[in-house]
Amino acid sequence: MNLHHIQTSAKQDNALACCLKYMGKQDAILLSGNGVNSLLLPEWQERLADIRVMALKGDVEARGLSQRLGHYTVIDYDTFVQESLKHDKVITW
Amino acid sequence: MSKFIIQVNGAAYASSASYNAYRFAKAALESGHEIERVFFYQDGVLNTSTLNSPASDEFDLTKAWVSLNKKYSVQLVNCVSAALRRGILSQNEAKENQLDHWNMEEPFEMGGLGELVTGIEAADRVVSF
Amino acid sequence: MKKVAIVFRRAPHGSPHGREALDLALLSASFEQEVSLIFVDDGVLNLIKDQQPERVGAKDYISTFGALPLYDVDTVLACEESLLEYDLEPTELTIEVEKVSPSMITEQLTQVDEVLVF
Repeated sequence: MNLHHIQTSAKQDNALACCLKYMGKQDAILLSGNGVNSLLLPEWQERLADIRVMALKGDVEARGLSQRLGHYTVIDYDTFVQESLKHDKVITW
Repeated sequence: MSKFIIQVNGAAYASSASYNAYRFAKAALESGHEIERVFFYQDGVLNTSTLNSPASDEFDLTKAWVSLNKKYSVQLVNCVSAALRRGILSQNEAKENQLDHWNMEEPFEMGGLGELVTGIEAADRVVSF
Repeated sequence: MKKVAIVFRRAPHGSPHGREALDLALLSASFEQEVSLIFVDDGVLNLIKDQQPERVGAKDYISTFGALPLYDVDTVLACEESLLEYDLEPTELTIEVEKVSPSMITEQLTQVDEVLVF
């Protein structure tokens, strides 16, 4: 079980698309930086619907998205550290 | 408690990845985990320039890395070849290249990619930014 | 010894990602790690033969792919869908690679100890 770490938005870079193509069914995704913006787009909301997705709190708040992304799991740095250890490894795309 | 190696590939200021790397490292250390070393590769080496001079009311990432070293003795290692290509030199490299100026000093150090590899081998987890 | 997979997902020469990925791959191999290379997405463009990076002031790391067997790097995978997307035939590639399905790449990413993406 891997944790995939995406730091760029789907409009900016192919990292998220690439990750979705090669990730395992049990894997999770953490969105940070501009990566959180992908959750605003219906296309990517759909593609991520059946995956365990987390977004980094600081990046969500910095961008004024706390309400819009209210139904997503938002985690702080401490939880990021814990999640990185719960998974077998972290793959940053 | 676990042991991490943090790989920083994003530039200071030009990329948010490096700030997140710092916050992750800080959170891990504050939770009692160990960091084998922070390894700066690719544009990440730009975190280590002592000439980075943000305005006084702005966050200074280079100083933040230094404070992490002071508090937790975390090793802060540059990939020397990635650094040289991007104009990051210690006094030593400046001398070797007959240059009058340098912009990297302790607690940052120059190392080789081998230190990333041995770090990955020694750590429980590598996290890249 | 750890199993480390290095993923090439970006096109060559537009940025130094591919070059710095290969540097790390060879160094890891020389430190006796079990290294595998995986080419996906635009990364498969690294494999095209007859490249002349020096024409754009870039280092010719492409020719260094030929040295992988000397470093005992035996696992070199390329995504068959990415190769197809760019219509790349095996004869057009600078080294021999194992054409694999996305699910086999998933499997490789699961098997290894660490994955570094460039």
